[in-house]
Amino acid sequence: MPQICLYLQLHQPYRLGDFDLFDIGSEISYFDAADKHNAKIFKKVARKSYLPMLRLLLQLSKASPSFKLALSASGIFLEQAMAFEPKIIKILKLLAKSQQVEFLAETYYHSLSSLYSEKEFEEQVAKHSKVIKKLFGVSPIVFRNTELIYSNDIAKLVEKLGFTGVLTEAVPRYLKSRPRTKIYKSSTKASLPLLLKHAQLSDDIAFRFSDPNWSDYPISASKYFTWLNKYHEDAIINLFMDFETFGEHQWKDTGIFDFFKKLVKKISKSKTSCFKTPSELFNSILTSDGQVEAMVERVYDVPEPISWADVDRDLTAWLDNDLQQDSISKLYELEDQILKSKDQKLLEDWRKLQCSDHFYYMCTKWAADGDVHAYFSPYDSPLEAYRKYSIVLADLAGRLKNHPEKEA
Amino acid sequence: MVGWEYPPHNSGGLGVACDGLSKALSDAGNQIYFALPYQHSKSLAHLEFIACHDPKWLEFTKAPFPSYATKKNAQRVDFLPLAQIEQKVAEYANMISKKSKKYEKKYDLIHAHDWMSFPAAQKMKNQTGKPMLAHVHSTEFDRIPRGSGSNFIKRAEYQGMQAADLIVAVSHYTKQVLIDKYDVDADKIKVVHNGIEPLKQSSVELIHFAASRPLLVFMGRLTAQKGAKYFVDLAAAVLEDLPDALFVLAGNGDQYQSLLFKAAGNQLSASVLFSGFLRGREKEILLSRADIFVMPSVSEPFGLVAAEAAQRAVPVIISKNSGVAELLSDAIQVDFWNIDEMKAQILKVINNKKYSQSIVKKQNQNLKNISWENTAKRLRDLYKDVLSR
Repeated sequence: MPQICLYLQLHQPYRLGDFDLFDIGSEISYFDAADKHNAKIFKKVARKSYLPMLRLLLQLSKASPSFKLALSASGIFLEQAMAFEPKIIKILKLLAKSQQVEFLAETYYHSLSSLYSEKEFEEQVAKHSKVIKKLFGVSPIVFRNTELIYSNDIAKLVEKLGFTGVLTEAVPRYLKSRPRTKIYKSSTKASLPLLLKHAQLSDDIAFRFSDPNWSDYPISASKYFTWLNKYHEDAIINLFMDFETFGEHQWKDTGIFDFFKKLVKKISKSKTSCFKTPSELFNSILTSDGQVEAMVERVYDVPEPISWADVDRDLTAWLDNDLQQDSISKLYELEDQILKSKDQKLLEDWRKLQCSDHFYYMCTKWAADGDVHAYFSPYDSPLEAYRKYSIVLADLAGRLKNHPEKEA
Repeated sequence: MVGWEYPPHNSGGLGVACDGLSKALSDAGNQIYFALPYQHSKSLAHLEFIACHDPKWLEFTKAPFPSYATKKNAQRVDFLPLAQIEQKVAEYANMISKKSKKYEKKYDLIHAHDWMSFPAAQKMKNQTGKPMLAHVHSTEFDRIPRGSGSNFIKRAEYQGMQAADLIVAVSHYTKQVLIDKYDVDADKIKVVHNGIEPLKQSSVELIHFAASRPLLVFMGRLTAQKGAKYFVDLAAAVLEDLPDALFVLAGNGDQYQSLLFKAAGNQLSASVLFSGFLRGREKEILLSRADIFVMPSVSEPFGLVAAEAAQRAVPVIISKNSGVAELLSDAIQVDFWNIDEMKAQILKVINNKKYSQSIVKKQNQNLKNISWENTAKRLRDLYKDVLSR
């Protein structure tokens, strides 16, 4: 029977506030002024998605002991949840207690540090694991990078940190004609096991669920269940999506909650399929001495970074144009000085500015993906996103220059 | 007077100039009727507006109309399609002949400002036989460098100048453009420089932002005419020697997007900043804070903003191709393309306080000769001359 691996991502960025040219040198916070704005958005999404979906997950986990899933929550999501909607943390704790939810590791700031600074990447992953352990009592053992960004080089970094496996995207240019329903392994020395997202079945829920132009619209839980059951019994179907799919991207009135509830019940009762968490799946391929099975034919060789975003499944959502590339280069150029300053406030601001969303807002690809970017952006245009960000960069550089550590 | 825009509905220098010179003329005893293609929201003491709009032109009653202007708020630049401007200019001419009839006995001459008003002024001249002054604040050759501008506009400018009894150019620089590009008889053109409002004690609380860093400012439309891209090139050059300097471009325009990409492409994202269009308090703060003001215009009939910067004791670097250079003769004058020279001057001003102070001091002397009173005096002489013919 096919094994269903469900993973939902929880994340909200700290959007920039109204910091403008004339605030340079003023010590006004880049984000504090926006707390109102960030809080408003967070509470709205909590009302529409986080709270009802978390309650549903809790209810389903109680009703069906075989229901399992993985959650990953960025550190800055958890911070905002604690500040703006602590009920979220409470329910997450209950879910953690149920042992039916596996928490994954990621970078605390939902950053692209895996591409720019190994040291910073390690710091952020460690900081994230620490907060997960503190809140939920378990240390994550499976890793997912920001936006499922993955490459051979990133696998090396993750391997070093001792994780048992990684979640990423199945990209045909590297997977070729091999099935995405198997466990793969990285093209690195220690062979890190990998789970690859089933984009079609994931996006049927995440993107197409309420699209009246979709030939399969509307889908019922029964119909979707028959699609799952077409797979062979050792197939692994990785359904990876944003948590906000439930209630935010797909509103309540589309019937998304009801669909999910029925689907979970069907799978739980079924003799032909079951839920598995990532670490359960990774354990299943370990030999008796704890090594990863040979799986020679299943090396996932990814020389250039991939992701789960946009049509291209590459980095172009964040790092395509000059606006994005120079903004992020300028930010990481400050790393040494930031660390030397030993100034917590500077470090914290620098890290919040690493959040991938800032660069996503600057994306100027105007094909089908443009709509998705515009939907998520707080700015009127990618140009405005860049304009505001560069003013903040100028200020950050100025604060470093004036820092007393430097003079000492 | 036949105009196109008037503050607060102005989109650029034209409205400001019309305001300055009509106030000064009124102070000198002239009665001014000021025609506009829309209903002005206020009545003013120094002139009487003649609203030449048809109630049917609903969208047209929202001033300012993009003549060569940009929308004030957004980063987007919404020019009216040229065909639409052409149509409005023609409609204005039709309306003005009806609306100005009752003033016919009250005025002595017709003073028209730039090409949008010329067809209307020509119509009045034909109807009344009164003399017409064509006042050229800017030409299509300035706005669209290399002569690829609208032929319709160039023709309107040419015909207006031909029909006029006298042409007023805002600078010797513009006079030469009219001679070279429009083949106008030099004797028919008189130069009358714009003035400037005296600097009032500012009620604005000035913010000395980015206090420890050299701040270089460009303020103007982000267009080929204003040479904004040379300012970005200049930034790249200066930052090699002054890595802490900040460069601010204040304004909007059709080059906004390409300038953002140029800045990022040259790895200047943390040093070249864009403020958008500024007015009032923010404009005051930025001009006052500037360590150097740079106006690298490719072609600038006047360039009032450089004089405004000079008023605020800011050393000014101006393009030789500018009218204001004739008045601010002690400001630093450069070829707009000469990045090396501009860079050398900037380093000298920033590193040498004495040099900086001496420029400011000399600029202050220059400023004494720039006033709307002088402008009005000169215009009144020309009025007398035309009326005595």
